[in-house]
Amino acid sequence: MGCVSFLSLSSAWLFLLLGPLIAFYFLKLKRPRQVIPSLVLWRQVLNDQRVNSPFQRFKRNLLLILQILLLTLLVLAAMQPLIRRQSVRTGRLPVLIDCSASMAALDKPGGITRLEAAKRRVRAMLKGLPGDQELSLIAFSKGARRLTGFTNNTRELEEALESLQVEEVPGDLEEVLRLAQALSRSAVFDHVLLLSDGNFPAHANFELPFKIEYQRLEPAGTNAGITACSARRALGGQWELFVQLSGSAIAETSMGGSVDFVQDGEVVATEAVTLVAGSSPRLAFKVVTDKAAAIEVRFNPSGFDSLSFDNTAWLKLPEPRPLDILVPVEMKAFRHALEALDGLRLFPKENETPPATYDLAFIDKAADLATPARVLCTVGLVPPELEKLVALESRNSVAVDWRRDSPLLQHVVLDEVVFMDEPFTAPETSETDFANAGFTVVAQGGKGPLIVEKRERDNVRIHLLFAPERSTLPYRVGFPILVSNLVQLAQSGLAEAAASQTGVLPAATFEPNSTYRVEGPGNLRAEGRTDENGQLTGIAAPRAGEYMISGPGLADPVRMGASLVSAAESSLAGIDQIEFADQLTVRAADASVLKSDRTLWWPLLCTAFGLLLLEWWFFQKRPSTMAR
Amino acid sequence: MASQITTLLANRDLDRLARLRLNASRRFTNRSRGEHLAAKGGTSTEFCDYRDYTPGDDVRFVDWNIFARTERPYLKQFHQEEELQVALLVDGSNSMLFEGKLDLARQVAAAIGAVALRGSEKVSATFLGGGEPARLAPCRGRVSMGKFLTFLERCEGGGETAIEAGVEMFLRRHSGRGVVVLISDFLTGGDLRRAFNLLNSAGLEIFALQILAPSELAPELNGDLRFVDSESGANLDISSAGDLLALYHEYREAHAALIADLCRQRQGRFLSVSAGDLFETVVFDLMRRKGWVV
Repeated sequence: MGCVSFLSLSSAWLFLLLGPLIAFYFLKLKRPRQVIPSLVLWRQVLNDQRVNSPFQRFKRNLLLILQILLLTLLVLAAMQPLIRRQSVRTGRLPVLIDCSASMAALDKPGGITRLEAAKRRVRAMLKGLPGDQELSLIAFSKGARRLTGFTNNTRELEEALESLQVEEVPGDLEEVLRLAQALSRSAVFDHVLLLSDGNFPAHANFELPFKIEYQRLEPAGTNAGITACSARRALGGQWELFVQLSGSAIAETSMGGSVDFVQDGEVVATEAVTLVAGSSPRLAFKVVTDKAAAIEVRFNPSGFDSLSFDNTAWLKLPEPRPLDILVPVEMKAFRHALEALDGLRLFPKENETPPATYDLAFIDKAADLATPARVLCTVGLVPPELEKLVALESRNSVAVDWRRDSPLLQHVVLDEVVFMDEPFTAPETSETDFANAGFTVVAQGGKGPLIVEKRERDNVRIHLLFAPERSTLPYRVGFPILVSNLVQLAQSGLAEAAASQTGVLPAATFEPNSTYRVEGPGNLRAEGRTDENGQLTGIAAPRAGEYMISGPGLADPVRMGASLVSAAESSLAGIDQIEFADQLTVRAADASVLKSDRTLWWPLLCTAFGLLLLEWWFFQKRPSTMAR
Repeated sequence: MASQITTLLANRDLDRLARLRLNASRRFTNRSRGEHLAAKGGTSTEFCDYRDYTPGDDVRFVDWNIFARTERPYLKQFHQEEELQVALLVDGSNSMLFEGKLDLARQVAAAIGAVALRGSEKVSATFLGGGEPARLAPCRGRVSMGKFLTFLERCEGGGETAIEAGVEMFLRRHSGRGVVVLISDFLTGGDLRRAFNLLNSAGLEIFALQILAPSELAPELNGDLRFVDSESGANLDISSAGDLLALYHEYREAHAALIADLCRQRQGRFLSVSAGDLFETVVFDLMRRKGWVV
């Protein structure tokens, strides 16, 4: 329930003008004189009880009453009254506007997007923005950015609102809440308004330092799109391509369509699909190529589709080649296990030049730690970063626990494996210290970690803090599996490919220290500079589509695709409530209209103007006469 | 083209008036002989009634034919033809100076006087203006027509004499029974009932003609006004006059109804006309239809 308050209560002194108004009225009231034959009848009329009734007494000084009313309305308008709403009653209010991919969904054919619906709500809010309230518009998708500072300049706010566009990336609520939390340190506020379709996780790992009003927008129409697209290298130089389609969560009827499979610009296969509610059909295609290929998968829906940009996915298949693996001759157990696998080139090898970078390298000497390899596996060595935390002792030990979900230890059982080396940690060392050094403990022994892992960009370093030949591991079935897992790790990126997602373009290698131009969908233009290794990274890809990279050393532009491929965004599902880390639950407000303080000065001015017109009409109209 | 006899009436209207007679409903006549039948029996040739013979009656009036048939003497009675005095009382106060009210009043008075003089009645006229009323002594016959019309022509309006006060002044100098024709707007705050009673008790049958200006019948007013009384100069402030018009009309009609009742209760006649009406319409149409003249 709202209550009326005034922003400029000091303007109430203008009510003192009522005194002069009344005084002037009676002093200046000059009635036109009209000589008539006799006052007899008019005296009788004035003596009539009906004339002297309260209403007629009021009409006698109607002009004065109207003028008092007019002045009262004007003074009230000057006092800037407003109706306070319970929901939002702060001087400063950050408005968090979701502009993730799902906000581009239309409500019906030819309808409006969710973002436009959110803009309309904010516009309605701006229309009645009180003078003492400041808004700050914050847009968020994968990241969050502040569109305006705290201001009550409606023009600035509207311009910022107009410039807001959907970013075709998944949304991240926590990111914007963190930004709001940072803002609250410099500008005090206790309420935050969240405008979204609710397409984000129901649980947020965030402790709210302010109250949040979650205004959920009306749900969008039905949608279907590609939610996953990946490829895996199969035997015989083939690739298996997997495409998953999903429909929106609210779809009640089935949706049909076809999926086109395009390889290097040529449609090589088309398959009809039907999506019923809740289904996620998975399609598989075979790609035969002995070189790199650009794959495009297009879903062509037969009916209305809320989102259009989730219907296409792009995929780059790398050129197939054998893995280059360095495994010293002395490490016979590893070499033996590797020789049983196909598609590998083991080094050192006679008459073969070693590659500049190995895909996988096993080393057991500290001097070889600098060996260039995408996956480096050290054996019986403590990495230099951990020398202060871990030391090795020649003592029997067993594995206490290990991460069974780690790709390295999949299907590997370390029970009853005896290690002759026992790593032990320094006193008062915890797992946090390893995390601070960038390492993850994959297997834990009695007194220290047995296996640690460190990921650096595309490179992975795995440190076995024991010597396998001084353990029973090589005699277990888990050892070849462990080696196979290492090969799988090295193969990732070579034997597997996934559609790159919107947000940031995948890193690409060009000439070092050169500037490259990037052109993308929606006239997006950007420039990026490669590092000393020729890596071009960090190119923003806010929209789904093909990006063209041109620059030194490139005769033709390089095409790279960015796809949405997000099951959450394509489902258009909206949550009703958000649960936060502090067990706080915020429910979506039901109000279709944004609740905000409503100013009343404008209606008061309109009323005053209407009253003025009424007064003019009343005193200018011709009198009614009675026919004889 | 013949010259006008008077500025008040056209010669053609005077000719038409010669064919009319004043139609008094009551027999308020004077003893002097005239052309009006008196209420009591008289010696005219017009038979009136029979009555039983009483000794001492003039045997010349016994109906011998009836006596022969019934052997009882009956005396024949005849109407007394006496003179009817017509007194004209014209209100010429300030309130009558609006929008031709006084002009119509003088024309109607001239018409009624002309009818009466041509009917061999005795006609007197009193004009109520400022101060002492102007009075035309009773006169009779067509020879007095010029004097009568000249009197009315010379009467100037003005003054503040109310009609009820004028009636009292008129009765102080008036004698004789007959008809009094009151021509006024009757817009007075005084006691009209008393004035009418005085006239009735003086043996005068009341013919009241109310003349109102068009602006009194259908005023077009609005806003806040200050009314000034034309006679007393008193002020009256009116707010939102347009909203009071309906009530004004109610009171105006009630006022006319009151005067009509006062006349009817004394077997008189009442007629209310607008100053904007044509003289011919008032005299030859309205007055004939209302039975004022036949």
